[in-house]
Amino acid sequence: MLRPLPDSKWNFTTAAHLLNRAGFGGPPAAIERLVKLGLDGAVDWLVDYEKVSDPTKPPEWARPDPTRFEMAQANRRIRQEVGKAGGEELEAFERKRRERARMERQEQNRQMIELRGWWLKRMAEGPRPLQEKLTLFWHGHFATSAQKVRDPYYMWLQNETFRSRVSGGWFDLLSAVTRDPAMLLWLDQAQSHRRRPNENYAREVMELFSLGEGNYTEQDVGEVARAFTGLTLDRRNQRFVYRPAMHDPGVKTVLGQTGNLDADAVLERILAHPSAAPFICGRLWRFFASENPPEGVVDALAGVLRKHDLQFKPVLGTLFRSEEFYRDDVMRQQIKSPVQWLVGGVRMLERDLPAAPVAAALLASMGQNLFAPPNVKGWDGGLSWITTNNLLARYNYTAVLVFGDLSVLRAAGGPMMGMRSQGASRRARDAGASVERILNDSDRARVDTLIAALERRLLQSGLKEKQRQSLAGFLESRSGLSDDDLLHAIRLVMSTPEYQLT
Amino acid sequence: MKHEPILRTRREFLRSGILGGAMAWTVPSFLAHTFSALHGESSNRAIQTATGVDGTILIVLQMAGGNDGVNTVVPYADDHYHRARPRLALPEKRILKLNDTLGLHPSLEGLKTLHDAGQLAVVQGVGYPNPNRSHFRSTEIWQTASDADRAERHGWLGRYFDNACPGADPTVGVSIGRQMPQAFASRQPLGVSLDNPRNYRFMNDGDSRDGTEDSMEQLFRDFNAPEDVAGGEDAAGGSIDMLAGGTSSELSPLDFLERTALDARVSSDRILEITRKATNQPAYPATRLANSLKLVGQLIGGGLSTRVYYVSQGGYDTHTNQAGAHERLLREMSDAVKAFVADLKAQGNFERVLIMTFSEFGRRVAENANGGTDHGAAAPLFVMGSRIKAGLHGTYPSLNPEELLRGDLKFSVDFRSVYAGVLEHWLKTPSEPVLGRAFAPLGLV
Repeated sequence: MLRPLPDSKWNFTTAAHLLNRAGFGGPPAAIERLVKLGLDGAVDWLVDYEKVSDPTKPPEWARPDPTRFEMAQANRRIRQEVGKAGGEELEAFERKRRERARMERQEQNRQMIELRGWWLKRMAEGPRPLQEKLTLFWHGHFATSAQKVRDPYYMWLQNETFRSRVSGGWFDLLSAVTRDPAMLLWLDQAQSHRRRPNENYAREVMELFSLGEGNYTEQDVGEVARAFTGLTLDRRNQRFVYRPAMHDPGVKTVLGQTGNLDADAVLERILAHPSAAPFICGRLWRFFASENPPEGVVDALAGVLRKHDLQFKPVLGTLFRSEEFYRDDVMRQQIKSPVQWLVGGVRMLERDLPAAPVAAALLASMGQNLFAPPNVKGWDGGLSWITTNNLLARYNYTAVLVFGDLSVLRAAGGPMMGMRSQGASRRARDAGASVERILNDSDRARVDTLIAALERRLLQSGLKEKQRQSLAGFLESRSGLSDDDLLHAIRLVMSTPEYQLT
Repeated sequence: MKHEPILRTRREFLRSGILGGAMAWTVPSFLAHTFSALHGESSNRAIQTATGVDGTILIVLQMAGGNDGVNTVVPYADDHYHRARPRLALPEKRILKLNDTLGLHPSLEGLKTLHDAGQLAVVQGVGYPNPNRSHFRSTEIWQTASDADRAERHGWLGRYFDNACPGADPTVGVSIGRQMPQAFASRQPLGVSLDNPRNYRFMNDGDSRDGTEDSMEQLFRDFNAPEDVAGGEDAAGGSIDMLAGGTSSELSPLDFLERTALDARVSSDRILEITRKATNQPAYPATRLANSLKLVGQLIGGGLSTRVYYVSQGGYDTHTNQAGAHERLLREMSDAVKAFVADLKAQGNFERVLIMTFSEFGRRVAENANGGTDHGAAAPLFVMGSRIKAGLHGTYPSLNPEELLRGDLKFSVDFRSVYAGVLEHWLKTPSEPVLGRAFAPLGLV
């Protein structure tokens, strides 16, 4: 179980698989680089990402803003006074307040689009692919939505927490998430009070984040909620604060352990539950490898997690080296998430990310609006990415990546997400892909070399014979093979069922 | 420019050989043979009756997040109600009264109008034994009609498709939105999802020159033709079993993709044709749910042979500051339904349509400290239509704290009795094979 892949099987195909799953794929040159590093070298480079420096700066607005709180307070005071006066004065005040609220929402929407672009750029161009892939995993795991949290600063802060705290291990991360402002707001923990504890976070921390349904009782939910009271938000400074006055100091019984348990004692108790390690390792396997873990794999990974004091890095290193990870029912059997589709597509085509409003609109329209998962369970993923609707959307949006044709997005009438407010004119055109970057002269020498180059870059596996014949027929029918013809061929290969797999 | 006939059904697609030479390799001859044997003219006609343009139609409206049933159908005369909800109890004068003890939330004017016209049925105290308070598990239970302690892969509507609509077009079930509800998951995958009809087609690059477009379309079709029509008529395949995370499909991902590509292709021409032609629709409110129902109105008006439409409204998980949010949500729902009913009446199609709401659970009787309510159990649901037995069904569960189950209402009507009533009396199909065992059908129709 979990023996390393033999060197003899380390080649372009297996290296491409590793880069696709532990990162967002890449052009043939990036894959060749991993082949040369060897399996251990490649996995070390991916997993020990702290050794690679990442100079990314936060968005300039990503800091606490106490003025917002003070404004709200002042408004409330004025509202009370004007409220007494009533009449026209009150109306005028309300009008102004609504106008201010509208402008604030607009600014928040703009920042959210910027934040999506900022993160996607890290995925597409950043030096630490696995760190960003893990951040995406945790975003889906601790699925928190800006639709409730609203403040982009909190969403950014949570994203940074996922990015930085994962190196500290499972307890450290879960403990940080329990105190994360966006999470405190998202699952109502910020408002939970010992007089009537709010059960929302208490329930999900066990059901969705750490144990899974059936491993705790309704009684446990109530007790955990009591233990978490007092964890709340300092709204002025926009950070976590513990307020003892809100905390229920009484004796609680959680998962069979009785005592004067506080939040961290509860988390420790939860993570010591026999289901905890298999639960999170199962999630990791499903995200990185396959929907159906081979017999015994999850328990073996859980053993690695426990042995290393709940640190994730040894688990990931083991997983990415393992023979099981390179099985035929794992490789090229995963349906790309929309993020993988977009970021992977951009990297394969060696083109720039589309502008943030376009990228955000593409993802939302394909069913993965970053920072706005459909519910606290996150995106179901796998086959659920593919519906008749979403598959057609993917086929159509390849035209954006390849030709830079934004008309398909416009025709879809999809959420353009502030494109106009960003000053993009209706005629704005994305640059699309460039043939010179993708195909060199020797690739272009003959139809068969051309097809081989496209297969290697876009699918990392072969087309079906009949598809190859169709494509050859098309390419042979074009006299001279212009760049435009080749872009059409690229778009075609990307508009197939096969291309949706990675 | 080649002119391609509009393909209305998957089997027409497979039979017509529209892929030309490509067909020869996409459909193995044995499968083609099976298809023609199963779908000769006679069976074609039989299916038309089942899925034809004149049949009855079910609209399932999901209120996701756990709708607070107590403030939806309000026991306004009950002291226990006012005691349990010092902040959230609605004052009697705002209630839209149904009788001396019960009334609708003030936002539900549209539903009250239906009630007064004898077109609204309120089923009280709907739930199931051993209620689960997880959104996801309880949604799964409602979607699959399973017992609380059993995991079921296929949805109740999917099993209806399997049992009553074999060989039907993929559009027999249409879900509005980007997700396919688990309720549609079936052995023989059926049902399409539709978010925006304008995007529901393959759009080629507008800049392509002389003839490129034409040959590109052909190539695109070749590339997306299924190697094998997986899950054909007899093969098992729960490929739409997608809402439950981690559940597997019996189809490989590639087979699933090919199948979906085919369904998209055969349904897109028809859906585009209908939605382009749709005119003269009455005004709908500008909400997401209203937009979904507007699209359903277009598809019904255009004669799409669909038996079940699925629409969804989210946001009912009101743990904090419930009052305003709940008021807005119910108004959105009621106003959207009102516009939809007006549309159907103008089309002359209201007679054919039954609307059923559901939510994964109700909410706790007592409010919490944040002006909200936590996850509960039994709750009422609504059934609307012109041919229904209007009025109250079942009994309203007691709010007496001593008769609650962990602070929640006890159910009096199993939701599967509601399903059984809809299946037997509206969709005219035996409910036992669909629901797995006999539930007394509620006399709704």
